[in-house]
Amino acid sequence: MPELPDWFRPVAEYMLREGLPETLKLAALAVTASTVIGIVLGTLLTIHFLPLQSLIRLYIEVWRGLPILVTILFIYWLPAYDVGPLHIQLNAYMSAALGLSLWGSAQVAEATRGAVQSIPKEQHEAAAALGFGWAGRHRFVIVPQALRRLLPPMVGLLVNIIQNTTIAFVIGINEFLQAGNRQFENLTTQTGNGHPFTIFGFVLVVFFIISFPLTLFARYLERRLV
Amino acid sequence: MKRLTAITGLLALVAAIVAALSVAAPTGKTGPETEATLPPKPRLPALPAEIRSRGKFLIGVKCDTPPFGWQDTSGRNRGYDVDVAKQFARWAFGSASKIDFTCVTTASRIGTLTSGRVDMIISTLTWTAERERTIDYSLPYYGAAGKLLVKNAVIVGRLNSWMPGKKIASTSGSIYDRWVKNCFTQSTFQVSSSPSAGVLAVKNGQVDALMYDDAFLVGVAANDPELRLTNHVFLKVPWGVGIRKTDPQIKAWVDAAIRGMKARDMFWPILKRTIPRRFYPLFRLNAPRPKVNLKFPRGTVPEAACPR
Amino acid sequence: MKILAAFEWSFIWDNRVELWEGFKNTMKVSAIGVAGAFVIGLVLGAVRAHRIPVFSQLAWVYVEAIRNTPILVQIFLFYYGLPQLGYQVEGFTVAWLAVMVWGGAFNTENFRAGFEAVPKHFREAGYALGFSPLKTFLNVTLPIGGRIALPSSINTYISVLKNTSLMLAIGYPELTTVAFNIQAITFRTFEMFAVLAVVYLVIVWTLSALIRLLEARLALPETR
Repeated sequence: MPELPDWFRPVAEYMLREGLPETLKLAALAVTASTVIGIVLGTLLTIHFLPLQSLIRLYIEVWRGLPILVTILFIYWLPAYDVGPLHIQLNAYMSAALGLSLWGSAQVAEATRGAVQSIPKEQHEAAAALGFGWAGRHRFVIVPQALRRLLPPMVGLLVNIIQNTTIAFVIGINEFLQAGNRQFENLTTQTGNGHPFTIFGFVLVVFFIISFPLTLFARYLERRLV
Repeated sequence: MKRLTAITGLLALVAAIVAALSVAAPTGKTGPETEATLPPKPRLPALPAEIRSRGKFLIGVKCDTPPFGWQDTSGRNRGYDVDVAKQFARWAFGSASKIDFTCVTTASRIGTLTSGRVDMIISTLTWTAERERTIDYSLPYYGAAGKLLVKNAVIVGRLNSWMPGKKIASTSGSIYDRWVKNCFTQSTFQVSSSPSAGVLAVKNGQVDALMYDDAFLVGVAANDPELRLTNHVFLKVPWGVGIRKTDPQIKAWVDAAIRGMKARDMFWPILKRTIPRRFYPLFRLNAPRPKVNLKFPRGTVPEAACPR
Repeated sequence: MKILAAFEWSFIWDNRVELWEGFKNTMKVSAIGVAGAFVIGLVLGAVRAHRIPVFSQLAWVYVEAIRNTPILVQIFLFYYGLPQLGYQVEGFTVAWLAVMVWGGAFNTENFRAGFEAVPKHFREAGYALGFSPLKTFLNVTLPIGGRIALPSSINTYISVLKNTSLMLAIGYPELTTVAFNIQAITFRTFEMFAVLAVVYLVIVWTLSALIRLLEARLALPETR
């Protein structure tokens, strides 16, 4: 274990105490919202009803096509919307969560569509033979099987969203990278040496420690379940 | 013996009268007040109902510009601007903790204010006529001046002869941004994403000089043996608290608070806390004090005032 | 509806010079990034697919390090770290370098999968014809594996383009940065983001359509 310089300890503690929880909170909210919305949209996408399919398809292509940064900036800097007595304006945290969720749900919807459509026709026929209607068939037979196939890409999505929380720093969220950046700026102006490699290297390593095991887990699931 | 008693009694009477007079004076606001007789808190107008019911201020401050607004390793906001904000909170709600700070940058501060996310911004906001078209300014609360940060070996003579062809850094949307673009069209203006990024740009040789506020640069030059400040001083324009034009109540409150702090000489101790002791003489005239008055140069356009 | 009524096209026109400069910068950075990612992906993908000792492991470390960390952190490391090593880098250099390194890592996996998907008997046919391993690779594995890898590579190139928007963090004036700065001074949020949405979506959708077209036409005869 290399000798850590004195200045590093308070900086690292600050980053881990103030920044990392923000990152994880934001990621948790975005992943949850993306999963719920995405699975619903993806399942609906398999219904052969053109207006609905077109609408969902548009949603998916827009939020996947735009850079997440642009989405988040747009949501945050939109003027407040006044509807009667209601003053709608998202704070930074909600703007970032919404931006990440729009992108994430588009990814999940696409993956869900693929997973549901990959369930062999025989399953539909067997369920219908047992007396299930469309909704029942999907709820009890198709979607549960599709969900198993979704598990690896979901874990992959979790990894992606954790990485993408760093984008939220441009709207002032004090997540892990921004926490490191603040300390880097302080050290630069107050001591002349900001130690960028150590600080940002530390950020890199922490993200890697969080993400790599999840990536390996996703690959393991892919081998076991599909 | 009788004469001694009489004199003592007379002295006691005089003392009692003087004491009575000095106790009686401060309860009214009649006539000029001396520092010694001011009550600890001035009479302040009412804050808007929304803020009163919230019970705390929402204030935008810098988080990347020591010694005015920055965050230390325990996550606390610190600096001159922050301390002024805390004094406001003490007078409004009784405690310095009744504030939610929002970090802003030079580029985002006005947008953050006008979008209603904060009640006011105390964020190194220099007065300009152009900005005053969009937002209101309180009374001045700090008198800043601009300075130039360069590498030690660089000699800068007159600005007009040195600037052409040079690369100058500052933050986007700052008064220095405007000034360089107005007055030194033959220089290249380079945007720095933060003041410290500008410092690094100078150190790495990516730019020839960083133009920024004096207290920030003084601290940088003091801590970095490779950099120094030139003797030039320019754009001596005070800062104000930024307030939405639709909130005259907030402006009235802030103005009264600033007047109160100035009369009680509360800005100078805050400034002394934020800069090293050896710089006190340099910054004596930067904080509003009973005998130091700051004024916005209304009627002029400082960022178009080019050196001859 | 009040929002739409206040939308001013003239505002976009007034700022067209800066926006156009920003767009050109986005394209410049993306072009170099894509070209570099292509080369890196091709070479390292081949190294990984052929399990060349030492280099294969090094490539693996590179790929996993980049793919499991945020690109924004990589950008910061380049921007603040390189000058400390003595390299004077301006925003443009950091921009294309960062997206190239990032894209290259993902592309390595794309090409590796592509090369490994080339049916074994194709390569055996190459050997049977007397080709050396290198010639087999160049004449058999590369063309076929490259075609298989094309859809996923183009996906990576699309992501490279989208990631250039992150250069906002280092102040390099590409399209998103320029639009955002204009918006910060003038508060014309809708107009600026309309520009961004149109530009990015048109480019991304065109490239995605290209992928779908290619997927159909480039599929191996056996899998059609």
